[in-house]
Amino acid sequence: MATIELDKVDKHYGAYHALRDISFDIADGEFVVLVGPSGCGKSTLLRTLAGLEDITGGTIRLGGQRVDNIAAKDRDVAMVFQNYALYPHMTVRENMAFALKLRGDTLPDRNAKVDKAAEMLRLTPYLDRYPKALSGGQRQRVAMGRAMVRSPKAFFFDEPLSNLDAALRVDMRSEIKALHQRLGATSVYVTHDQIEAMTMADRIVVLRDGKVEQIGAPLELYDRPANIFVAGFIGSPAMNKLSVKIDLKSNAARLADGSSFSLPPGTRARDGQDAIYGIRPDHWILSRGDQGAPATVELIEPTGAEILVAAQLAGQRVLCAFRERHALKAGDTIALAVDPATAHVFDKQTEQRISP
Amino acid sequence: MRRSNIGWLFLAPATLILFVVGFIPFLYILYVGFFDWNSNAVDPTLRWAGLQNYRNLVFDATFLNSLARTLVFAFIVVVSELLLGYVLARALMADRLWGRQFFRTIHTLPIVVAPIAVGATWRLLCVPGFGIIPYYLKLWFGIDYNISTNAYHAFGTAIVMDLWHWTPFVTLSLMAGLTALPKEPLEQAQIDGGNKLQIFWYVIVPMLKPVLLTTVFIRLMDALRSVDEVWMLTKGGPAEATRFIGLHIWINVFPKTDYGYGAAMSLLTLYVTIVLSWLLFVAMTGRKGGAQ
Ligand SMILES: Nc1ncnc2c1ncn2[C@@H]1O[C@H](COP(=O)(O)OP(=O)(O)OP(=O)(O)O)[C@@H](O)[C@H]1O
Ligand SMILES: [Mg+2]
Repeated sequence: MATIELDKVDKHYGAYHALRDISFDIADGEFVVLVGPSGCGKSTLLRTLAGLEDITGGTIRLGGQRVDNIAAKDRDVAMVFQNYALYPHMTVRENMAFALKLRGDTLPDRNAKVDKAAEMLRLTPYLDRYPKALSGGQRQRVAMGRAMVRSPKAFFFDEPLSNLDAALRVDMRSEIKALHQRLGATSVYVTHDQIEAMTMADRIVVLRDGKVEQIGAPLELYDRPANIFVAGFIGSPAMNKLSVKIDLKSNAARLADGSSFSLPPGTRARDGQDAIYGIRPDHWILSRGDQGAPATVELIEPTGAEILVAAQLAGQRVLCAFRERHALKAGDTIALAVDPATAHVFDKQTEQRISP
Repeated sequence: MRRSNIGWLFLAPATLILFVVGFIPFLYILYVGFFDWNSNAVDPTLRWAGLQNYRNLVFDATFLNSLARTLVFAFIVVVSELLLGYVLARALMADRLWGRQFFRTIHTLPIVVAPIAVGATWRLLCVPGFGIIPYYLKLWFGIDYNISTNAYHAFGTAIVMDLWHWTPFVTLSLMAGLTALPKEPLEQAQIDGGNKLQIFWYVIVPMLKPVLLTTVFIRLMDALRSVDEVWMLTKGGPAEATRFIGLHIWINVFPKTDYGYGAAMSLLTLYVTIVLSWLLFVAMTGRKGGAQ
């Protein structure tokens, strides 16, 4: 087990700048999830941590020791690849014991460790099979087991669940989480599944175009996204982003049609500033009175737990999620209100958060 | 039912050709092998000899030596070509090698040269008193290199010539195999702590097994049948130093017109080849899950 420290990590592929100035620390035993849109550099970052890619600048420390200049084989980390990367010519047992064999453990030692891991992962009946005779979920567990038997300094996962069906994914998710709680191993986990990120992470790192956008606990990111990108990326369905003008006299964010929403107390804004007023779909309040902005219902999608309503609000499309069973139909005019405490305000220029 | 009949119909021409050029000659050789038949003998007709040809073969030192020599030759060239081919394949696949594309293109040129031309060219290079190889070996190392008189020189030159001619084929085939290898297990092996040698031995070789097996088969069969190149180079000499089995059979069948004995030799050689291939196949696919 070990801490991981990244300091100003840079990675170029020729002229392409894949990782830009990435600095953050991971505590011992922490479970950190990397998220971000496709191509933002998640895998690249993970691979540089594992030593499969060289970095072109900065330093990486593992357990206090500088590792960016040493080879993958000497870093003592384990990695689980998206497609599992099992050795096709080895049985499950040999796959799991391979790292132990390479480092010179004795056969009884190896077998004991593999048996223990196999039991934990319910792989015991498959130990003598070859990978091609396993299901996706079983292969995935073998890949996990292979990482577990070594008790490495850190675990790296690159979208390990993305090839599984939804039900299995949920199962494996809790299994990995449970495993992490049992082993307490420092882990870095790449995913672009929101739910995975939110449920598993101690902290989430949001990446975009090779840069860190925000680092924080899952709920911190959800409740206080630092910028428009994180606001739109975390949460599903995504946050509504309304273009507004700040009207400091009435402490409001004004929409194009003149209707307005109150600013959250403590918002640092200039009068007349262009801003983005962000509201999560489930934070809309349907008001029957005269307060609130008028909107026209366009589409209604009941999901059971809630009703998703798409509406036109001052020329912008918004999505609302109501838990109550309002009797609405397309074409209705509704009044939408907001509790300012739940709203997020961002500077339109810098895209940074300006509400507290 | 109808479908499968039509399938056979499509296969018929190929089967027929195979039967005519493959199976009938084989039966004919099997038949001839039981006779004493030499068209230049006093009695040029087929005379029944039973198993006499085969019995003679077992005591024929020239034949047995030639067979052994061929096996040694084949073993040396196949192993060397495999090692050399692998190193070259890795080198030509390395990102950093300067002029890689150029070498990739020209290194295959020897393959397209006809064996007879290869033999002739090497003959010219090696002829004592004329070729540049003996000249420089003498000049630089003081070696009296002479393939017409020194058996070791002749045998060695035959090997080097085969390496020159066929290593590119092995390189090409291994390059194809290496390119097709999945990248992830190799990366996983690095993460698992494998050094280069361990990754090569425990991961690359087993995953490359089907390609290795095919390549070794092709090269082994070729090496066992090597005739024209060596004939051009040394005519099998000096004495019988480079008289490989194909050449030996040819000399018996054509210049000597000893058809019955030649047929018997061919069959025995075929038998040895089959056993050898089978052993090789068993050795390489012995473990399940390896070659798929
Ligand atoms: N070997 C390479 N050479 C050049 N560019 C590369 C190379 N590998 C990755 N890249 C680029 O680096 C960027 C980041 O790639 P990376 O694989 O890290 O993305 P990712 O965040 O993992 O995306 P995904 O979610 O789709 O897996 C991409 O734009 C990709 O095109
Ligand atoms: Mg990726």
